[in-house]
Amino acid sequence: MPPEPLLEATGIVKAFGSFRAVDGAGLTVREGEIVGLIGPNGAGKSTFFNCLAGDTQPTAGLIRFAGQEVTRAPADAHARAGMARSFQVPVTFEDMTVLENVMVGAFLRHPHRRDARERAREMLEVTGLARQAEARAGGLGTPGRKRLEIARALATEPRLLLLDEALAGLNPTEVRDAIGFVRGLHARGITLIVVEHIMEVILSLAERAVVFNQGKVIAEGVPRAVVDDPAVVEAYIGRSLAGRRLRRRRNPP
Amino acid sequence: MRIGLGVAAVVLLLAAPAAVGDPFIQRVAALVLLTAISASAWNLIGGYAGQVSIGHAVFFGAGAYASLLVFKLFAWPPIAGAPFGIAVSLVLALLIGVPTFRLRGHYFSMATIAVAELIRIVVGNWPLLGAAVGLMGPAVPRGLADLSFLSPLPYFYIFAAVEAALLWVTWAMARSRTGYYLRAVRAGERAALSLGVPVLRYKLVALLLSAGFTALAGSLYAVMVGYVDPESVLGILVSVQMVIVAALGGAGTLFGPVLGAVILVPVQQATNAAFGGSGSGLTYIVYGAIILAIARFRPGGLLELLHWRPRRAA
Ligand SMILES: Nc1ncnc2c1ncn2[C@@H]1O[C@H](COP(=O)(O)OP(=O)(O)OP(=O)(O)O)[C@@H](O)[C@H]1O
Ligand SMILES: [Mg+2]
Repeated sequence: MPPEPLLEATGIVKAFGSFRAVDGAGLTVREGEIVGLIGPNGAGKSTFFNCLAGDTQPTAGLIRFAGQEVTRAPADAHARAGMARSFQVPVTFEDMTVLENVMVGAFLRHPHRRDARERAREMLEVTGLARQAEARAGGLGTPGRKRLEIARALATEPRLLLLDEALAGLNPTEVRDAIGFVRGLHARGITLIVVEHIMEVILSLAERAVVFNQGKVIAEGVPRAVVDDPAVVEAYIGRSLAGRRLRRRRNPP
Repeated sequence: MRIGLGVAAVVLLLAAPAAVGDPFIQRVAALVLLTAISASAWNLIGGYAGQVSIGHAVFFGAGAYASLLVFKLFAWPPIAGAPFGIAVSLVLALLIGVPTFRLRGHYFSMATIAVAELIRIVVGNWPLLGAAVGLMGPAVPRGLADLSFLSPLPYFYIFAAVEAALLWVTWAMARSRTGYYLRAVRAGERAALSLGVPVLRYKLVALLLSAGFTALAGSLYAVMVGYVDPESVLGILVSVQMVIVAALGGAGTLFGPVLGAVILVPVQQATNAAFGGSGSGLTYIVYGAIILAIARFRPGGLLELLHWRPRRAA
C-alpha cells in the first residue's frame, strides 16, 4: 500500500457571496513532489492556496495534511504541522529588520532567541539575503520582499512549501537562478506547490502540473503534455491577457 | 563606559528631587513616575502589540477603587487592595479581549472605550463605591503600611522602584520570543499566523500583563492621593493620557513612555498652576494638539525624532 499523501484536498469550494472563486477543486501531493499550479488570472489559484494554508476557511471540502484533518484549522496550526507559504502580494513585517522577520519564523521551532537568530542567519545565507540582514524589510523592493518571505517560511522548517508567484518580477537570469534555488530546496527534502505564470518555471521545475480555470481543475499531468491540452489552450485563449502571457513565455521573441 | 554613564545619570536623577527640597517639584517628579508607570503598562498592549486601547482607565480605576474599598470595608491599608484591583482587571481584560481579538479591525479599540465608559457610569451610581462622590483613604496615617506620607519623596522612590521593575519586565519580554511575536502581530496578523504565531493568545498575554500593571498604577495613585472618584480615575482623560504619553515619547519603545511623561506632566502641572483648577478643558485642547502633532509629524514619537532608540534586542 502506498504511503498516505502529504497533502490531500478534496472538493474544495470557496464562495464569496454567490461567486465561487474555488469550485470543487482537489489536489493530492505526495512527499517529495514539486507540483506546478497554473491557470489564467482569476482562476482561483491564490484562493485555493489560502484555503490549503488555513488563511481562509473553505466553504466546503476536506483538507488532510501530514495525517491530520486541518480543513478548519487556523493558519498557525498549519504552520506548526509543517506547512509554510509565501504570499502573492508580499506581507513582510515592514518595520522590522530582514533578520528579525526571519527570526519570527525561526521562533516556531527554536523558542530561544539565540537559537532562533542562528537559524535565521542560516536562512539568510541560503536565500542570499545575508548582506541585508540589518536592513529594514520595508526598504526592500518587491522581489527582495518575496525572497524574504521564502526565507521566513523556510525558517519554520516546513515539510510543504506553497509558493504563490514567488518569482514574478524577476528578469530571465534571476528566474534561472531562482529555479536552481527551488531545486535546492527540493533536494533538501521539501515538498513544493508552485503557482507561476512563467511557463519556463513550471516546465523546468514541476514533475506534475495542475491547471485551474474558473475554480476547477481542468487538466493535470506532465507539464509538457498539459500545456498542449486543448482544454488548457482554450482556457488561456478565452482570456486574452493570460493567453498572451502564456504564448510569450512559450515562444520567446 | 556607556553603562557607567547610564548608572551615574540614573543615580543623579533619583537624588535630584531629594536635593531640590521643593515639595512642589518633588510632587511633580512623583507624578511623572506614576504617569510613566501607567503609560509603560499601556505600551505593552498598545505599543508592542499594536492593539490601541482607549479604555485603560477601566484597569487604572479598578486598582484605584480596590485600594480604597478594602480600606472602607475592612480598614485595611489601601495598598492591600492592589491584588484585588489586579484580579478584577485581569477578568475585565479577558472579557474585552477574548471576543474582540478574534475580529480583525478596530473592534478592540472600540470595545475598550465602551467598557470603560460603561463602568464609569455604573461606578458613579453604585453606593458601595461612593457613587458620584467616590471613596476616601485614611484621614490620618495609622502606620507605615498605610503608605501615607506628607512629603512626596517616599512616593517618588516607591514609583521609581515599580517603574524600574516594569521596565525590566518590558525589556525582558521585548527580547524574548514573546516580544518578537507581538511586533509581528502589530506588523501583520496574516503573516504572523502563517509563521505559526498564535496571534490571539499573544494579544491576550500582552493585554493581561498591561492590565495588571495599569491596575497597580491605579492602586499607587489611590495610595498617594487618598481619594478617588469616577472622573479622576475612570474618566476618558485617564485613558487618553496613557495613549498620548506613550505615543509622544515613542510607542513600542522601552523608554518612550518615560520620555513622554517627563515632557507632558510638568507641562500639565504648569498649565494647571497658571490657569487654576484641574484645567480639564485646557487639557483636552493640549491633548488634541499633541495628537495632531504626532499624527502629522512623528508617528514614531520623540525617541524616533532624537534617533535615540535603544539598540535593538537582536
Ligand atoms: N476576498 C475576496 N472577495 C471576493 N472575491 C474574491 C476575493 N478574493 C478573490 N476573489 C475573486 O476570486 C477569483 C479568484 O481569485 P484568485 O486571486 O484566487 O485568482 P488567481 O488564480 O490567484 O489569479 P492571479 O493569477 O491573478 O493571481 C477572482 O475573480 C477574484 O476577484
Ligand atoms: Mg493569485
